[in-house]
Amino acid sequence: MSNEPYSDRVRELFADLARAGDLADAAHARVDDQGVRISLAASCGDGVLEALRFRAWGCPHLLAATESFCRDYEGRPCSDLLDFGAAEVMATLPVPTEKLGRILVLEDAVHSLGQSVLRDLNDDNG
Amino acid sequence: MYLDYAASTPVDPRVVETMKTLMLDDYANPSSTHAAGRRIVAHIEHATGQLAALLGCRARDLIWTSGATESDNLAIAGAAQYRADRGRHLITMSTEHKAVTDVCSALEKQGFEVSRLHPDRSGLLDLAALAAAIRDDTQLVSIMHINNETGVIQDIEAIGSICRERDVLFHVDAAQSVGKLPIDLGVLPVDLLSTTAHKIYGPQGIGALYIADRPGCHVEPLLYGGGQQRSLRPGTLAAALIAGFGHAAEIAHGSMHDDLQHLSALRDRMWAKISELPGIVRNGSAEASFPGILNVSIDDVEGESLLLALEPMCVATGSACNAKTQEPSYVLRALGLSDEMAQSAIRFSLGRPTTAAEVDLAADLYRRAVERLRALAPRRTA
Repeated sequence: MSNEPYSDRVRELFADLARAGDLADAAHARVDDQGVRISLAASCGDGVLEALRFRAWGCPHLLAATESFCRDYEGRPCSDLLDFGAAEVMATLPVPTEKLGRILVLEDAVHSLGQSVLRDLNDDNG
Repeated sequence: MYLDYAASTPVDPRVVETMKTLMLDDYANPSSTHAAGRRIVAHIEHATGQLAALLGCRARDLIWTSGATESDNLAIAGAAQYRADRGRHLITMSTEHKAVTDVCSALEKQGFEVSRLHPDRSGLLDLAALAAAIRDDTQLVSIMHINNETGVIQDIEAIGSICRERDVLFHVDAAQSVGKLPIDLGVLPVDLLSTTAHKIYGPQGIGALYIADRPGCHVEPLLYGGGQQRSLRPGTLAAALIAGFGHAAEIAHGSMHDDLQHLSALRDRMWAKISELPGIVRNGSAEASFPGILNVSIDDVEGESLLLALEPMCVATGSACNAKTQEPSYVLRALGLSDEMAQSAIRFSLGRPTTAAEVDLAADLYRRAVERLRALAPRRTA
């Protein structure tokens, strides 16, 4: 049984949180829950996520999961944000099941961001 | 960089040489009556004398164990059982090491009553509260000398005096203090004292329990078989480890003054370099504290991320945590810290090999880690 609490992937992401920061003129979402804080920002063009940035306060798994989400979703359709699920992140990093609550906070933040992005798109189209 | 000397220390090379002699050349069983066995007995007696000299006690009052945890168990459970017909009440503190709190919990399941006194915000025991907590059926008080997390030093002389006045045994978990602070058991009102080698540059796996030779002070054994050590802790004596402990004790005895000066200078240097950080607090008394330990918490920094950001520096967190459980330190919670502040705690523990350059680097790493994590975080909402 390993007593290593972090996978290589989590360590790599934690060491290089390249998407940490802010975006001007972007859609935003923020969720504070379960003792963690997550703020997300997305800029879109032609229905595609051009850039994603985050700020977060939490454990290494949460920071790594948030960075991983930002990297993975850049270039994808904005509507994909609503499909983001905690289960995939939990499995791929991986994240211990005891921390599911924190990753669900990320899921809430991503879905909230998705709704904000889609609302902006609808406003632009209207 | 290793700044976790309160957890364990490297074995002094001189101690290694002593142990090698026994492991390679004098390897007989000390219970054997032949010449080789008698040589081992001589080595053990020499080591017992070295530890007794450090503690200011008689060699015959020392029992070798596997470490401080076993010593604590033997002292507390053994004394409680020995005096059970007089009463079944024990007193300890909520900030004790698990080796004490867990054996107390086990005794509660056997029908003993345990009072756990809380410290003040500086980590110190209120002596009046102790005196008030002692009852007619109280048999044992167990208070540690130096707290392993905060470095806070309890006044064991004053505590022991209160216990003597009330005819209550006094046990001291001195795992962090033996060889680091002067202890004279010839003078101190201490009945039982636990110690271990690996905090003073001796080997892991060997400890000792002092049992005062006075009426009413005795322990029932936890183990049976063999009859060694007056049957109080039977089993073949680990001669090489004992010799290593003895030598480490002798070295610590000779270098204690220099060690304390060295650690004080480094601890003060470390604190001076990080104390300007906004929201940082020093946990535990700044006055009654062992200079080898500096425990700090910092506002608005998540503890687990801080610990990872500090790697490869080896320090201890204030949380009894791993990635699975993030329970804040019960010791720091007892000092009144919030869960968040307790989780952000880092224990820097310095040792004989620690250099000023290491302390400077550690302080720089800590500052940068705090600034990095704070820069990542969204602002707190009101």
